[in-house]
Amino acid sequence: MAEVRFGQAINRAISDAMAQDPTVVMFGEDVAAAGGPFGVTRGLAERFGGERVRDTPISEATIVGAAVGAAMSGLRPIVEIMFMDFITLAMDALVNQAAKAHFMFGEQCSVPMVVRTPHGGGISAGPQHSQCLEAWLAHVPGLKLVCPATIADSYSLLRAAIADPNPVIFVENKALYALKGELPDEPENVAIGAARTARAGQDLTIVTYGAALAPALDAAATLASQGVEAEVIDLRSIQPWDEAAVRRSLARTHRLIVFHEAVEAFGVGAEIVARMSDVAFDELDAPPLRVGAPFSPPPFAKSLEQQFQPSADRLIHAARRVLT
Amino acid sequence: MSVAVVDLLMPKLGLTMTEGVVSQWSCQPGGRFAPGDILLVVETEKIANDVEATASGVLREILVPEGETVPVGAPIARWEPDGAVKAAAAPVSSQTAAAPTGREEGRQVADLTSRRPEGARVVATPYARRLAAERGIDIPSIAGRGEGGRIRAADVLAASANGEPDAPAVSVPEAEPAFRGGGKLVQPTGYQRSAARRLSAAKRDTPHFYLSAEVDVGELLGLRQKLVSGGGIERLTLTPLFLLAMAQALREEPNANRVWSDDGIVAFDTVDVGLAVHTHVGLLVPMLRDAGSLTLRQIAAEASRLTTRTRAGDLSLDDFGGGAATLSNGGMFDVTYMSSIITPGQSSILGVGSVRSVFRPDVEGRPILRQEIGLVLSCDHRVFDGVLGLRLLSRIRGYLQDPLSLLIR
Repeated sequence: MAEVRFGQAINRAISDAMAQDPTVVMFGEDVAAAGGPFGVTRGLAERFGGERVRDTPISEATIVGAAVGAAMSGLRPIVEIMFMDFITLAMDALVNQAAKAHFMFGEQCSVPMVVRTPHGGGISAGPQHSQCLEAWLAHVPGLKLVCPATIADSYSLLRAAIADPNPVIFVENKALYALKGELPDEPENVAIGAARTARAGQDLTIVTYGAALAPALDAAATLASQGVEAEVIDLRSIQPWDEAAVRRSLARTHRLIVFHEAVEAFGVGAEIVARMSDVAFDELDAPPLRVGAPFSPPPFAKSLEQQFQPSADRLIHAARRVLT
Repeated sequence: MSVAVVDLLMPKLGLTMTEGVVSQWSCQPGGRFAPGDILLVVETEKIANDVEATASGVLREILVPEGETVPVGAPIARWEPDGAVKAAAAPVSSQTAAAPTGREEGRQVADLTSRRPEGARVVATPYARRLAAERGIDIPSIAGRGEGGRIRAADVLAASANGEPDAPAVSVPEAEPAFRGGGKLVQPTGYQRSAARRLSAAKRDTPHFYLSAEVDVGELLGLRQKLVSGGGIERLTLTPLFLLAMAQALREEPNANRVWSDDGIVAFDTVDVGLAVHTHVGLLVPMLRDAGSLTLRQIAAEASRLTTRTRAGDLSLDDFGGGAATLSNGGMFDVTYMSSIITPGQSSILGVGSVRSVFRPDVEGRPILRQEIGLVLSCDHRVFDGVLGLRLLSRIRGYLQDPLSLLIR
């Protein structure tokens, strides 16, 4: 058991996977010599050499395109897109190639690749460096997407992503890089698609993922002091998502709020709410709600960004609404 | 611009009131009223109550005719406040809507909506509908207390606990009410219906336990005789003595002067003791307020006043509710032990039997004639543990066996 930061747990997952499997390689902008823009890949180039850990030119389309080719020809590439906002430039490779190859070529090949990319704001990085675009990718059949909220999950989910025969997007929230916590010497295996109950309760189900877990737990603690026991479910994996876990919880609490940092409209929350309204309609004792960012680009100014980001207060406000 | 006609709702006139009978309309459709005017008379299980207007307006329509029973919060009439344009801008659920129902519960009443006008859409959550279907409860009969009057699961469960709806789930042909050996169906009165529901709930939801004791009342009877013949207190019965003994015992066991509520245990500041009074309507329990600080003379006067006025139907709502304990004296009938159901909302009740002459052995085993009564104390186990109940009963017995101690304080 060691105390590590979020990024160090990711580093250890890459490092362990590379040590175990020689086909695992890693490339992206500044990942080798500089050790990554957030220091996540520090030391990997030294340990595994320039053949397996490579810096690339500033071309996201090339990075992901090369990863698709490498994955189809026998490697297990891990690539990094420095900000999720720039995944726009790699969309053809991801959406039309990586997601489709297994389906289009009669299952003759698979595309075992991982795209690591940070999303989220809170650091005054502005509209083009703060977005949470996971819903775009979760919408594409053939892609998987995970988004850890804890140190242990960041390790375990990345190992699961590297081992998966499909293209997996591994989303790291920038706010979590400062998170410190215990990483077991032998972290448990986590299956992609399995949610975790972060807090048990029987009055209300809060479904969340990534950095939104912390304010969700804060809100749950405040609600508990007012006599309301909220259950908090950390999805961990968004595509596929653990529909059964959410449904089981809803069958106990009969109230649902999905809480995420991404813009509320057309998002992950919309999907979960719509699905539960369908398969668990008779469990609902209040309108199922979403709490996310308003329909706006993330603002630069710190004061505005604080208003923009979904907070525990907004979640509590929504909870009061469904508990009325 | 729409005309602001708003609902007048059945007011909640006491903590335990769940439904009321519209016994008389004092204002007719089209009639104007001003603050202080009596709009109607509402009967509860306890009392008839004048409902006054606290705002001025015009009564537009009566939705519930005289004699009908509706749950608290159900619309009973439609009225138009003066200055309708201003009122129309305010949300229906605001205080304005409920203003004429008056009393301090005004806001609470405003939050409740229920039985809608015929044909109005019933808003209920999917889970509430499922629960109602499972329990065979008619959704429109449920009072919705959610946002905008939405019926939620909690409302269905409350209705289920209250025994709603009144109508049987299976329709019985009217022509041949088949009762073996003949008989007829008698409609329960409002009081009977309400008492049936409240007592069923009390017996079902309150974990009762019972402690009984036989008490030598030789000295108590002697004292009473002296007080009456000595001109101290005219026409003194045993009831005030029992009440005083209970009040003193409760004062000395403050943990017994408490009741269970959903929000927690309520510890009362004063010792109020209820007195079960038989009336032509049924059993009623008016309260002796602050009995713990009254003298025997004061208790006797108050008990006499409460009994007379209860039987005359002449008490106010303030005379009912609250307190932790009740005295039920069955001594005028020939009964040895009386194990009573705790008055809803309280935590104990003392059942007192008749005075009986019995032989008891003295220290040498020779029979001695004694005057005894049987006491049964029913306790709510959520508030009492066994020891607390035993201590309370023991103190009551102590006072009754040594009644001079009752008079010295």
